[in-house]
Amino acid sequence: MESSRRTLLAATLGGAAGLGLLPFLLGGCTELMTPEEAKARKVPLRTLSEAEALALERFGDVLLPGAKTAGIAHFVDHHLGVPAEESLLMLRYLDVPPPYAGFYKAGLAALNEHAKGRFGKAFAGVDDGRATAIVADIIKSQPSDWNGPPAPFFTFLVRSDAVDVVYGTRAGLARLGLPVMAHLEPEREW
Amino acid sequence: MVSRAAKVDAVIVGAGAAGSLFAARLARAGRKVVVLEAGPAWELADLASSQIWARRLKWGGAPVVHAGGQPGFPHNLNTGWGLGGAALHHYATWPRLPEAAHAMQSGFGKGADWPFEAAALRPWYDRVQADVGLSGDAAAEPWRPPGDAYPLKPLREFAQGHLLRGGFEALGLPVAPLPAAILTDWFKGRPPCQYDGWCDAGCPIGALANPLVTHLAEARRHGAEVKARATVLRILPDGAGRAAGVVWADSVGDEQVQQASVVILAASAIQTPRLLLASAAPEWPAGAGNARDLVGRGLMVEAVAQAAGLFDRATENHLGVSAGQLMHRAVPGDGRNRPFGGYQWQVGPSLKPSDIFGIAATRPELFSDALHRFLHDGSRNLATMVGMAEQLPDPANRILLDSRRDRFGVPLARIVHRHDAGTLALQRHVAAEGEAVVKASGAREAWSAVLGGGHPAGGTPMGSDPDRSVTDPFGRVHGIRNLFVTGSGLFPTTAGTSPTFTLMALAERAAAELLDHWSDHA
Repeated sequence: MESSRRTLLAATLGGAAGLGLLPFLLGGCTELMTPEEAKARKVPLRTLSEAEALALERFGDVLLPGAKTAGIAHFVDHHLGVPAEESLLMLRYLDVPPPYAGFYKAGLAALNEHAKGRFGKAFAGVDDGRATAIVADIIKSQPSDWNGPPAPFFTFLVRSDAVDVVYGTRAGLARLGLPVMAHLEPEREW
Repeated sequence: MVSRAAKVDAVIVGAGAAGSLFAARLARAGRKVVVLEAGPAWELADLASSQIWARRLKWGGAPVVHAGGQPGFPHNLNTGWGLGGAALHHYATWPRLPEAAHAMQSGFGKGADWPFEAAALRPWYDRVQADVGLSGDAAAEPWRPPGDAYPLKPLREFAQGHLLRGGFEALGLPVAPLPAAILTDWFKGRPPCQYDGWCDAGCPIGALANPLVTHLAEARRHGAEVKARATVLRILPDGAGRAAGVVWADSVGDEQVQQASVVILAASAIQTPRLLLASAAPEWPAGAGNARDLVGRGLMVEAVAQAAGLFDRATENHLGVSAGQLMHRAVPGDGRNRPFGGYQWQVGPSLKPSDIFGIAATRPELFSDALHRFLHDGSRNLATMVGMAEQLPDPANRILLDSRRDRFGVPLARIVHRHDAGTLALQRHVAAEGEAVVKASGAREAWSAVLGGGHPAGGTPMGSDPDRSVTDPFGRVHGIRNLFVTGSGLFPTTAGTSPTFTLMALAERAAAELLDHWSDHA
């Protein structure tokens, strides 16, 4: 009974099950593809630079391995490129003032500068052990040379982005063995 | 060029819980009503079951400015955006305000008194719950003021609730089924809850009483005109000490005037003071209703605590509702040894992996493979509970106008707020109590945390004395007979109580007063 009602609601109100597709602009045409596909096909990012995306992917992957493959850079970039009220990033409701791109850019710049000051390389270029050491520090405290949004807050938000892309979708819930039990499926995952 | 619409009986600013109820009552009585809502026109089909998509329902309007740069509490998380307001994503925890909360100043020398006793509010609580449909077990709530029994049986209790119930009972602390505006059986054509835990994303089946299925729907059926993307910029004075209507801007910024016999502000405890202050005019040089510099003062934000534990058995935390399954309450003056104030525990909320109250957020220090392991463990074995500790009103905690302006030229709300030492002490007590409960529940690992704040209230408190309050006991702004405020901004104190049921009862009471004595107000 409950299952049939849920199915009916999904059919009448929600449309098809989410496939994780996003509209990306490639070669002058808009195509629907997953962030993972977008990355593989070198879809240009709209807001983040290549260096920023590399730092974000590495940061996300250290925080939660798999975030890079799941498309954290394209997820964040997409939501930095839409009007603030349409953004689905969690910082939206933690009172970070829009536009949100400045927050991420400043945070990633601070991360890179901290990595350079400590290990001589941008964050994307340091080895796994050193990257982990950096994250272990900034997740709980503010380094003295950090020049950006508060390091633990920035880390908390990127960690949340990573959890979103790895476990916040239907596929992610399935990886945890959790039933989705959706009233309405989103038209896309994010 | 400013266009002018025909004068109506009432214009209501904000389509959340209180504004929608006001609209329903006035429209049902035959009054011509216009509701103006700044955000989008959500429909039930927009309420996708996703914690990511749920964020669209949170505040997306003009940013607020936190004094000092650091948010004392997350405004955007606690407010709504669009038709339904915060009630579209609220968790529907609907306790009644404890009797003691009505007399905090006269009874304890703390805070302020409500302008009437608890008994005066009882019939309005009873009327709202019979209208909307509440579930719970009144007899199991020792802290509940007298009132009719809930019309519906309690929410189901799953393993998480059962485990934590054991912890409360082991410590001698009473728990009761959580009183909720969530249906446990068919009610007025609305179906019962399916316990799939997506309340935060909005309830498209209408088992949870969001305004789209309750009072906004009723208001529309009775002819109320509801306009989304309609941002009210200021209240217009009529030159004779009353409000003539409001100026509002549509989605492209064109200004329009809506004249009305009565103006009702239902725009949240933050945006309503902002609008009053932004309505300065020769008649109201310090803002509407602000002759005594009281508008915006006394902002109260409950201090949040969380307790959690991992168990050696499945907690079924994917089942249930976002609010929880059980409630424990401590009310001021109950004789228990603790820092002064009231609080409530919401026990056993349904959990999702991501988001601010998700599984990952309960252990913010974890990362890498440890976070993966915790998410897998927590998805099966985690139980949590959320506590809300009272903050008493302090005039220094207030809403002001900032020097920065929104895209329509209205100054942004500037929030000056901090939790005082007493509130923080109570919050720590709540967290410690919660951790003790989780341990007593048999958890293999237990922890607790103090978080930010929630449930903003006050700022436009009601009272009988114009020197101490912004509105009269019905929400009518002192000195402006046809200007009403509704919502949690009216609360003189909170006792750490989820606000929606109380603000609905106040709106029901005020709407009846307005209709019964229309010519006195309009």
